[in-house]
Amino acid sequence: MIAHHPSDELLLGAAAGALDAGAAIVLGAHVEGCAHCRATLRQFEAVGGAMLESTEPVLMAPDALAKTLAAIDAPPPPVRPTAPPLPRPELPPGVTWPRSLAVCDVSRWHWMGPGMRWSRVTLPHAPDANVFLLRIGAGKALATHTHSGLELTHVMCGSFHDGRSRFGAGDFDAADGDVRHQPVLEAGGECICLATVQGRLVFDGAIARWIGARVGI
Amino acid sequence: MPTGDEWVELVRSVAVAGDRSAFAVLFKHFAPRVKAHLMRAGVDPELAEDLAQETMVNVWRKAASFDAARAQLSTWIFTIARNLRIDQLRRQRDANAAHEANEGADNVDLLAQVAHDAARPDEQLDAARREGAVREALRQLAPEQVQILRLAFYDEQSHARIASDLNVPLGTVKSRIRLAVGHLRRLLQGMEP
Repeated sequence: MIAHHPSDELLLGAAAGALDAGAAIVLGAHVEGCAHCRATLRQFEAVGGAMLESTEPVLMAPDALAKTLAAIDAPPPPVRPTAPPLPRPELPPGVTWPRSLAVCDVSRWHWMGPGMRWSRVTLPHAPDANVFLLRIGAGKALATHTHSGLELTHVMCGSFHDGRSRFGAGDFDAADGDVRHQPVLEAGGECICLATVQGRLVFDGAIARWIGARVGI
Repeated sequence: MPTGDEWVELVRSVAVAGDRSAFAVLFKHFAPRVKAHLMRAGVDPELAEDLAQETMVNVWRKAASFDAARAQLSTWIFTIARNLRIDQLRRQRDANAAHEANEGADNVDLLAQVAHDAARPDEQLDAARREGAVREALRQLAPEQVQILRLAFYDEQSHARIASDLNVPLGTVKSRIRLAVGHLRRLLQGMEP
């Protein structure tokens, strides 16, 4: 049962095409598992349609239709063969990759502390987007941190409590620089989160800061 | 102006028969609106002209995949234009990188694709009701709120421009957008069966 959804502003941003690439990936992972948010996204796209319909038209170039028809007559761009699936690090049994990651490169699991691993997600169309996976063992706690920018998180499996609320599989969270939290994993299995940060995580402790800097999240 | 059903019929003629006069009717109505929409979203007029033409090329090529049960024509064309704009922004930013041009706007807009693919059949069939409710909600919103909602479809620079036009801080524009979205959602929830 999904308890935490993206805000209307984020979903509207997605419908408008105004999200940055990292946010679109993490939001996409939530939306593909959430009928509620798919319905909202469609409503907002319909708002876009209504906005388009009611926009005061402007003149097109005099030869616009002729040029468009010429472009239609040109051979369509070749359909490129589907690329073979990219290699993926292993996941716990029963956990599947969000389809929004399909074209992304996902690194192997790197050690970042006892019971904690992370993986870098690289977007071919936005290599500078800061997207990563965290994999934390049951009962462990991530160092207390805040964010220099907005942090978006999609829970792929497991659950944690960060002092504000409990987050389980399928849940979505947005935390900005006002939020200082320490996600603590619940018992009953490890937790994997897909996250993106606009800016950086800012950890409290010196060791955590060192790891954060090394990891580059 | 053609009615809703007639618009759908025009797209079908394009899909089935490659009907150029039907396409010309669609072009005459939608291309100038797509161009205007893009310009208001901060795209310069020349690029907006190109993207509007490219949108209509895509309308021609994808006509067979248009499903009136899924979305109204204007919503479908809005999403095509949006995806081309996202793709164009990425191409522009990656001009020096190894990114291949014409990756295909469909491939980059994963969010829309995922939302589309994951939809169960029963989610797809209520387009007419959904679009009707959205249009009714927009009619019930105060005109100022509709104007503010429109801003959400434009870029950050246009928010900043509007903030300075209205002589209010950028944060105020953002909070007004939030209020308008909240109001729209409450109206829509009130219409659910």
